Amino acid sequence: MTTRELIKKILFIEIIKGLALTLKHFFSPAVTRQYPYKVKIEPPPGARALHALAKYETGKMKCVGCGLCSAICPTKCISIYTTEGEGHRKVVERYEIDTLRCVFCALCVEACPFGAIVLTPHFEYAGYDKGEFRYTKERLLDNWDRYMGPERGRDYFERFWVPKSRDFRGGG
Amino acid sequence: MAMEKTRLGDNSRVTTRELTLNMGPQHPATHGVLRLVLELDGETIVKCTPYVGYLHRGVEKHTEQLNYLQIIPHTDRLDYISSMANNIGYCVAVERLFGIKVPERAQYIRTIVAEVTRILSHLLWLGTHALDIGAMTVFLYCFREREKLQQLLERLCGARLTVSYTRIGGVKKDVDQQWLEDLYAFTEEFPMRIEQYETLIDKNRIWLKRTKGIGVITAEEAINMGLSGPVIRGSGVPYDVRKFMPYCVYDKVKWEVPTGKNGDIYDRYRVRMEEFRQSNSIIRQCIEQIPDGPIMADAPKFVLPPKDAVLTNMEQLIHHFVLITKGPMTAPEGEIYVATEVPKGELGFYIVSDGTGRPYRLRIRPPSFVHISALPRLCEGGLVADVIANIGSIDIVMGECDR
Ligand code: SF4
Ligand code: SF4
Repeated sequence: MTTRELIKKILFIEIIKGLALTLKHFFSPAVTRQYPYKVKIEPPPGARALHALAKYETGKMKCVGCGLCSAICPTKCISIYTTEGEGHRKVVERYEIDTLRCVFCALCVEACPFGAIVLTPHFEYAGYDKGEFRYTKERLLDNWDRYMGPERGRDYFERFWVPKSRDFRGGG
Repeated sequence: MAMEKTRLGDNSRVTTRELTLNMGPQHPATHGVLRLVLELDGETIVKCTPYVGYLHRGVEKHTEQLNYLQIIPHTDRLDYISSMANNIGYCVAVERLFGIKVPERAQYIRTIVAEVTRILSHLLWLGTHALDIGAMTVFLYCFREREKLQQLLERLCGARLTVSYTRIGGVKKDVDQQWLEDLYAFTEEFPMRIEQYETLIDKNRIWLKRTKGIGVITAEEAINMGLSGPVIRGSGVPYDVRKFMPYCVYDKVKWEVPTGKNGDIYDRYRVRMEEFRQSNSIIRQCIEQIPDGPIMADAPKFVLPPKDAVLTNMEQLIHHFVLITKGPMTAPEGEIYVATEVPKGELGFYIVSDGTGRPYRLRIRPPSFVHISALPRLCEGGLVADVIANIGSIDIVMGECDR
């Protein structure tokens, strides 16, 4: 061991350097956000959380009950029951999502040919009862009004409803 | 098991017994549900037996019931810290099997997000490894940087951890210019952060005592055990799948494979610290070079058709229905093994296709599983306290090991 190393060892140079760094950080502004008491966290658009069923501007539900979303869902958490309505039209009688089983992969959004289902950025929906997490058609439509709406919905489909034909332009 | 033996000469009445100690599966420092049965002679480990399988979910079997697209969310949950890299590994394997050519831009995006994931995974490793050994501050600093990258990922694909970002034939969503600029700004600041971590622990005498010369594994042994990733590179073997069998655009950017010499915990730590810098430089080069163009391959048999075409074109609509409900029905028969370099080592996907929309068999070769088999070799003969350091240094994730 050279004298230099010995002096370094005795004087705890490397430890002091580390302490100086932490001391410097002590005076720099904190990066911690005091969620949920002081700040609300606003996820970016397109964040994948609670589902909603989209509506047209007229308020009519977009979903036609084709069942593609439940076919692609890897956890099989979407159940759709359809009946025959007036003029032999298909009517979506019940549409339920068991969000406790959902893995938020957004494959249902990708599969839906009509853009009828979306994942909203609303993530705070804790509850005391298992039943609260079983989202029925009415609650899902209500989610659209609360967390999406026409304005944000349009933006969502423009940016996150994939794939678009321009993604294929030119070929690979 | 508790063998009695006399240590202090024949006349002594003091006898010691070997003690069997159960460590885990619920132990904060085993990084998941790993259970080790240790046989101790005093503080020295005589025998170490790892037990795995507490997190077994049957992913491999389950994937036989799912079509190729539905498997992507499952790959997220293997090594949940670097889900992006798993997505890419799986998609590259399926694309080679199907013979799909992925467009240039998608390849660049994949490389960028794979390296972002490498930084994320190594940051988590550094933080928790230092925490295990006794350095608290590093953990907090690492999580500060992690948060920035996680927010970038969230902006990109809507999720922080289980991203499901790549698709067979490309990626789910294009990156925008603002995103690239923000990431570039991060890479400008990051080297300074790496130096800060190094100031804290690189020469710290406690850190050196706990890591130098501990858990040594020679290059020969490492090769024989099939280790990969930073663990084998720490022993001086420059094996990196990205260099040996390049995928994405790793052959178009300049980077080096950092290696260690002694194969101890400290060298593995140094290798990962250098990988931070290499990944950082790969990201920068990719952002500088990224070309314009499509992000999805033009392979109508395997890729979901464009949304606007589905509603106007009958043929595309039928195609869409078949791909979603049954999977790619024209998948070629055959089998393939494709390895990619994830942050923890070599992740391989072995896929057997029988021509239906689902894989006949999908086998995953996780690096963590192989690395756990090296634990007895690393721990035996050492002290109990070093077990924790050893587990940290091979960087395992049980979600991937048990599948
Ligand atoms: S997000 Fe995924 S898991 Fe959840 S309902 Fe949609 S397809 Fe199913
Ligand atoms: S949400 Fe879309 S995919 Fe699902 S049933 Fe309705 S229209 Fe079909």
